[in-house]
Amino acid sequence: MLKGLRGVALAALILAVSVGIAACGGGGIGGGASEKVATVKVDPKPSGNMTISNWPLYIDKNTVPDFEKATGVSVKYIEDVNDNAEFFGKMQPLLAQGQSGGRSLIVVTDWMANKMHQLGYVQDLDKSAIPNVEKNLVPALQHPTFDPNRDFSVPWQSGMTGLIVREDLAPDVHSICDLFNPKYKGKVEMLTEMRDTVPLVMKCMGVDLSKATEQDWLNAIAKIKSAADSGQIRRFTGNDYARDLTSGDVDAVIGWSGDAVQLQADNPNIKFVMPKEGCMLWSDNMEIPVGAPNPTAAEAWMNYVYDPKNQAQIAAYNNYVTPVAGVKQVFEKTDPATAKNPLIFPSSKFTANCDTAPTLSGQEEQKVTAAFDAVING
Amino acid sequence: MSNRRRRLVPYFLLGPGILWLILFFAVPMYFMGRLSLDTGTLETGFRFNWQWSNFHDALSLYQTPFLRSFYYAGAATVIALLIGYPLAYAIAFKGGRWKNAMLLAVVAPFFTTYLIRTIAWETILSDHGFVVSTLQSVGIVAAGGRILQTASAVIAGITYNFLPFMVLPVYASLERIDPSMIEAAKDLYASPRTAFWKVTLPLSLPGVVAGTLLTFIPAVGDYINAFFLGSNNNHMIGNVIQGLYLTQRDYPAAAALSFVLMAVIMLAVLGYIRFAGSEALMGEEAVAG
Repeated sequence: MLKGLRGVALAALILAVSVGIAACGGGGIGGGASEKVATVKVDPKPSGNMTISNWPLYIDKNTVPDFEKATGVSVKYIEDVNDNAEFFGKMQPLLAQGQSGGRSLIVVTDWMANKMHQLGYVQDLDKSAIPNVEKNLVPALQHPTFDPNRDFSVPWQSGMTGLIVREDLAPDVHSICDLFNPKYKGKVEMLTEMRDTVPLVMKCMGVDLSKATEQDWLNAIAKIKSAADSGQIRRFTGNDYARDLTSGDVDAVIGWSGDAVQLQADNPNIKFVMPKEGCMLWSDNMEIPVGAPNPTAAEAWMNYVYDPKNQAQIAAYNNYVTPVAGVKQVFEKTDPATAKNPLIFPSSKFTANCDTAPTLSGQEEQKVTAAFDAVING
Repeated sequence: MSNRRRRLVPYFLLGPGILWLILFFAVPMYFMGRLSLDTGTLETGFRFNWQWSNFHDALSLYQTPFLRSFYYAGAATVIALLIGYPLAYAIAFKGGRWKNAMLLAVVAPFFTTYLIRTIAWETILSDHGFVVSTLQSVGIVAAGGRILQTASAVIAGITYNFLPFMVLPVYASLERIDPSMIEAAKDLYASPRTAFWKVTLPLSLPGVVAGTLLTFIPAVGDYINAFFLGSNNNHMIGNVIQGLYLTQRDYPAAAALSFVLMAVIMLAVLGYIRFAGSEALMGEEAVAG
């Protein structure tokens, strides 16, 4: 009896330890850069289930049910992407083992889309299943440097990063450089998203972003650091600048255009200001990760949201810049005010000085990220 | 046989606890320790390399937030004790029939999540809010000054969030004091003040030691308060480790910092217990028994 019990306890212990070791030790961390990127295999007709990971507040209530009705695919739509780097940190151990955690489609910003592709974590698309994308993707987004032929990424929404200002509190903030004016000490905020904040400060310093070197990044970070140390910059935020602007705790922030449209609806004193230096342009992209179940349904989804009528429904909700041509024409009939809003349909004149974030090589990226993180983490 | 069985019983009773510790403490510790000695990047993959310099590099780079964490947590613990002890004393000795209601009032904020409680402080301490404008008119906060995104806000947030961890153990040990002990002191002509210093306080020390440890240890690793109530100049070591792990994905540095943090806390706690005396932690009964 006693011996039996002891045996059981010992066996349980050994089992537990070996399970622990297997769970933690399997596969290791990182690597995988050399893996060949596969192209997804698409069936003629979409069916079954699919899980989509997207950012919060990025879709209206009707698009998912409408899509389910139109295709018969059952969709689990989860809003679990809050930050590119954090989402990647969560997904990376799975992706390194060729799994997507059940996700058929994920949405990440340009630089992260590129990084995931370089690491072999996303699949190439079967373009025959997404004719609407071929037809309706706006020309400006057809050939980004990181994916010149749009082989693996399809824009979900685009936007601008610029200034969001309380016009009643800081009427004379017109440029990124104005944020460093001692008049606004402790009343300005910048984004924790490095690829928004640092390039904008580089623009203020007169750097041509297309020729930006590692030293330019580090110089801009040093400028941000001294402003943060002196208390000029109150703090670094994500979307939570919305609270600080609304309460009047800050006068001006670096922020995203879609937020500005929504904030302005609640408080007319809050305005998006196109910085004198220009803005940052970005897109969040749909991608099919490695190991994704049901890529057929994922491509059907891409194709569906690239129908201008369906896209108008999404764009009307989230106020960002739509990547789909023909949506403006839909709005001109249904909602002329939105069709004229330069934050939702920016003219090429409006964004004349705007740039996309310059890409960093692996080594540069590590150094620059470490320097920036040392600033925002004091 | 029965003798042997009796000797083994304690080990069987310890079994589940030991298993738990192995699974959720020793095994993760092993992998974290291994990771802290890796080299490489996420792109190239991490390799085990006995890279002891990880420890030195991480510490020298993040020395300030490291020391700051101990300073904030220490300050918050002292303030929590200064607020918590009189509160626990009042509940235990003067609470009367309101005792349970008062205890409930101490614990009640815990029914809301930690995050929500902390974010609520953002609104309370807002620049144009009631608290700051009152303090400004009294002159405690300079005109145009602020509380939010300063060290004061972070320390206040930590104090608030961990106060019940101080109040409850202190209350428990005060509550256990036999009132006849204090009566005896008074019978021996001790003034109320002497009776408190010579009888009540020493008897409540186990609660004070437990309360300070329960407050200090989680407070050192806290990063929520610094994130919402502080600025980048108030970030604590928890914020740094989070950034290293999730943003920079420098897993070895994050693991090394976590290890150092754990070791330093452990040494500090051991020193503290030694200084306070182990009977203070365990209670006299345990040591005597």
